[in-house]
Amino acid sequence: MSHEKDKLFAEAKTPQPVTREESRRDFLKEVMNMQGGEKILECIQCGSCAGGCPTRFAMDYSPMQIIKMINLGMKEKVLSSSTIWVCSSCYTCATRCPRDVSFATLMMSLRNKAIRENLVKNGAKLNFHKYFFEVVNKYGRLHEPELLVKLLDKTDFRSLRSNASLGLRLFKKGKLQIRAPKIKQTSWLCTILEKTNEKESQ
Amino acid sequence: MKYAFYPGCSAQSTAKEYEDSAKAISKVLDIELVEVPDWNCCGAIDAVYAFKPLYSIALAARNLALAEKMQMDIVTLCSACYFTLSRTNKILKEDSGTKSKVDEALESAGFNYNGGVRVRHFADVLLSDIGLQKIKEKVKVQLTTLNVASYYGCFLVRPPDICNFDDPEHPMRLDELVETLGASKVDYYGKTRCCGGSLGITDEEIMLKMSKDILLNAKNSGANCMATACPLCHFNLDARQKDIESRFDVKINLPVLHFTQLIGLAFGIEPKQLGLHRNCVSPRKIFPLTVANASKAGKSAADRNL
Repeated sequence: MSHEKDKLFAEAKTPQPVTREESRRDFLKEVMNMQGGEKILECIQCGSCAGGCPTRFAMDYSPMQIIKMINLGMKEKVLSSSTIWVCSSCYTCATRCPRDVSFATLMMSLRNKAIRENLVKNGAKLNFHKYFFEVVNKYGRLHEPELLVKLLDKTDFRSLRSNASLGLRLFKKGKLQIRAPKIKQTSWLCTILEKTNEKESQ
Repeated sequence: MKYAFYPGCSAQSTAKEYEDSAKAISKVLDIELVEVPDWNCCGAIDAVYAFKPLYSIALAARNLALAEKMQMDIVTLCSACYFTLSRTNKILKEDSGTKSKVDEALESAGFNYNGGVRVRHFADVLLSDIGLQKIKEKVKVQLTTLNVASYYGCFLVRPPDICNFDDPEHPMRLDELVETLGASKVDYYGKTRCCGGSLGITDEEIMLKMSKDILLNAKNSGANCMATACPLCHFNLDARQKDIESRFDVKINLPVLHFTQLIGLAFGIEPKQLGLHRNCVSPRKIFPLTVANASKAGKSAADRNL
């Protein structure tokens, strides 16, 4: 645990984000208004979240570090970290937090924030959410084959091959639904989209 | 008993056998599942939420509005849907700002939701409303040869303020169910560990490692099969098991069944009707034993009749 704190401390000391008090507060305030960010000031840096996190091994900053970084106003670093995308939303952190910080929920909100601020480094992550939305908005339900084909990296031979073998496996077992499962009333999807877009921008 | 049935997208495509087996055992237990007419995707945890938060809440709320009209609890097979729909209920109850925006969007499309629907997981319906006693009475084949590692995953038990099927750290209700069916339960540490969920699509390596740990943990603890309660967990543990084996060069070969399939086997329902032929890791090596038991049980019943 202590080396995580050291790393963070060193980074906070290095001159990169020259966070003036106001901009630090701005980001903190913004986060506190998000779903999951309400109780972020209650964090006591106990590390329960980082200790139980099943995807910690693939993150650049641990959950407890991210919370501290938000406190320090390190907006760009937080929003472009891999942590917010590697989180699998398993809610182990939120379940174990003695101060009731819902870190997993906050990760979902920060993903949305990163998308809106154009700070997503990993294109596959952005595409997943974008295409998922597109498919659902088109049919009203998820059509997995269409989503997977859209996400396929056509230049990566290895991934093409492994995806083809998975597709074949699913097809043989009758698990691939070729025809899209369209709902009857799709017109309301557009209505709701328009209305929520309008509300979101307010 | 009657419920508004919300299968979820996966239970009608990649996990067709889950819906089939759930319907088959419902018939035996006199549960009437009335499908929510024209239901739509719930928004899948954060898949839509991260891109369009308000829109995703409205998507889920439409399903709740449809179920409200039916005046029944909404029952889902998928743990992710269970979480997403329950969360929507919570947000609409606690966040009046979001509620008024969502209400307006729903109204513009001709829907109206007052927050009166209870969201249930099918496992909870079986264990709370039907009860182990009634399930026990219907068991025809004791699954004595099976050592089942019950896998709860995330959204059946976490976060506890939204999904409260059982204790979030040490759930036992599925294990109790397994014992009721005559099988042995397996204690293992991975039962609430995350399988990787949708990381399987965007970050395959991470998901393969997470699922491998769970599968090996279950196997090394003496399991000869696993039982899941979520189509996504099942997909990662079953359909991707071959990828895990080749990626890490290990032999796992551990059949993963939907818990409804397990109940169906104990009820003596035909394996084909339970969709067991659709499981990617063939459960054949475990069910000859149970089928053999079944024919034995049938024989002894016939003997008794004579």
